[in-house]
Amino acid sequence: MDVALAASAPETTDWERLAARSRLRRRTTTALLYTVLLLGSLPIVVPYLWLFTVALSGRVGASTFVLWRTLAVLLPALLIWSILRVGIDDRRRLRVCEIVLVIVTFVALAVLTGPYLHTGNWRFLWNANIADQLKGAAGVGGTYPSVWTAFGNSLFLAITQMVLVAAVSTLAGYYLSRFDFRGRGGYLKGLLVLHAFPAMTLIIPIFLLLHWVGLLDTLTGVILVVVALELPFAIFVMKGFFDAVPWDIEMSAMTDGASRRQAFLLVVLPQVKVGMLAVAVFAFLRGWEEYVFVRTLLLQKSNWTMSLYLFWMSADVMGTDYAMVSAIGVFYVLPSIILYTMCQKYLTQMTLGGIKG
Amino acid sequence: MSRIELHSVAKRWGDVTAVEPTDLVIRNGEFVAILGPSGCGKSTTLFMLAGIYTPTEGQILFDQAAVNDVEARDRNVGIVFQSYALYPHMTVRENIGFPLRFKRVSREEGRRRAEEAARLVQVQELMDRKPAQLSGGQQQRVALARALVKEPGLLLLDEPLSNLDASLRLVMRSEIRGLQRKLGVTTILVTHDQIEATTMADRVICMRRGRIEQIGTAEDLYHRPDSLFVAGFIGSPPINLFKGQASNGNVVVGEAILATSRDASGDVVLGIRPEAVRLGEGPFTGRVEDREPHGRETIYHLATPLGLLRALEPGAVARFSVGDLLPFAVSASLLFDAGTERRISGGALEVPH
Repeated sequence: MDVALAASAPETTDWERLAARSRLRRRTTTALLYTVLLLGSLPIVVPYLWLFTVALSGRVGASTFVLWRTLAVLLPALLIWSILRVGIDDRRRLRVCEIVLVIVTFVALAVLTGPYLHTGNWRFLWNANIADQLKGAAGVGGTYPSVWTAFGNSLFLAITQMVLVAAVSTLAGYYLSRFDFRGRGGYLKGLLVLHAFPAMTLIIPIFLLLHWVGLLDTLTGVILVVVALELPFAIFVMKGFFDAVPWDIEMSAMTDGASRRQAFLLVVLPQVKVGMLAVAVFAFLRGWEEYVFVRTLLLQKSNWTMSLYLFWMSADVMGTDYAMVSAIGVFYVLPSIILYTMCQKYLTQMTLGGIKG
Repeated sequence: MSRIELHSVAKRWGDVTAVEPTDLVIRNGEFVAILGPSGCGKSTTLFMLAGIYTPTEGQILFDQAAVNDVEARDRNVGIVFQSYALYPHMTVRENIGFPLRFKRVSREEGRRRAEEAARLVQVQELMDRKPAQLSGGQQQRVALARALVKEPGLLLLDEPLSNLDASLRLVMRSEIRGLQRKLGVTTILVTHDQIEATTMADRVICMRRGRIEQIGTAEDLYHRPDSLFVAGFIGSPPINLFKGQASNGNVVVGEAILATSRDASGDVVLGIRPEAVRLGEGPFTGRVEDREPHGRETIYHLATPLGLLRALEPGAVARFSVGDLLPFAVSASLLFDAGTERRISGGALEVPH
């Protein structure tokens, strides 16, 4: 009896081996993840990098050797960084290595690309008479407006778009969410259909309509059209946010003495702040990048927006001055990036207004 | 302080009747509980009193004046919702002070009254927190303070304790009762928990499917339930109910024949409360099938000639075990007509033949 018991010795788990296996598994997964992410981001990042480097260094032609040098520095840096992340477990050491890597990368970039950077491509900012330097009267013919006029028009379009869409969609979303009126179902379905409708097919009727109303070739006309096209989606989003606000805090506010309007402003609206921000940002970006309608509905040069300025400029100089076109492109995209970076924190913080825990 | 009257008040949503035409009088300073299962129309009645719903029929009177057309914000009513409905983006101080923004009070007075209300419910230390940073019990107190800060004529509570844990419920029960006594405000509490209703309220209104089944004090409903529903709803553990036949002064229940002086005939239902069973001596015999020790009392499941009977034995010591055969007596019983479900009153149930 005792012999039999002694023979079956207790099995000890080899913790060391299990730990090593887990570590290997983790490293492999992380390495794979980094590879996939890097490869996936390259097609997206490289074109932008092209844009930036050419804008800062190109001379007339599209000189890409600065781009290659930049990539030659950045790609190995990224690779080394990924290896560091996968290989080093100690946080302090990792941090130190990362800082060293960043410094080395910067120095390398400065050395390799520094001498070639210049601001000549940005002359459109202070020199409105670009046309004089272009080849002949091809294209639009005559003088270009200053880029700042176009910038101002774009800004006006985008900001008005943002304000109108935010205001109308908030009120509409609230009413749709809270009140049951005759035709509500049909209205909601109609909104969906409108959103799915390709606006391009309406170009000709819209042109005629604006002409008859007398708003053709005005920014006001364009604003009205683009706002109308952006509204269905915005209303849907706002309705969704209002649906998430519990009805009882509204009723509580009204029993506490607030009128419907006061309850809306003081209690309900703060709950959908994030929704309003999202709708406003999207509306701004839509207005900022609008091309089709401004191209069709705006005729005078003084009414040009940035998108038109970029288009005509590239039409005129394409084949000769990619660098300046890239610079205009960078100038055009900068406000969007700034806006989005500023609002990103709030947009990703979408919490549903919790009442109890 | 208001006297509330309902005259034939009903609420219909399309084809569905949530509340049948109802008459009700609630005296000034009374604490009334509306008790009933889910969907019986108790919350709907509450919201009609608050002004959130408009009655489809009938009139609501505050101090003899019809208030059907008076908006919620002008009714001077304080309401605590089941979810507390605190404003998530405001601090506790702002939440409590919110109703005062719509009254003509100065800033300092508003602050003072908010502090007072907070002290009343003991949340004065939490004034700068947001609702998400409070526990359930604290949130409920803030909601209560907010309802009381405007010194309302009517306080409405919609299942205020149902989201709290058991020990907190006990504490809040006595706190709310104490507050109401101190302030003397007419209060209406809506609940599905009969213990809450019977321990807190002066009068209990038992509702079912939009209709009032019975109104009375807790004792009235316990000792003299008008209907089978009320008898079954009030009392924990629930009343034992047996189907039987009555004729000529006899009631046949299960295998037992009982003599009764109550005027009954046809199908009847006999109700015996577990606490009305005296174990150890008596004309009936039963065998213990199961035993539930509850600490300060024990519940036995007895197989008897009447059927399966739940009996309650007070005291910490359980005298009997499973399988025991023991005699028992019934000290009180209720008899209901099976068809109308109304109680047949008068007389007593005698010993068996």
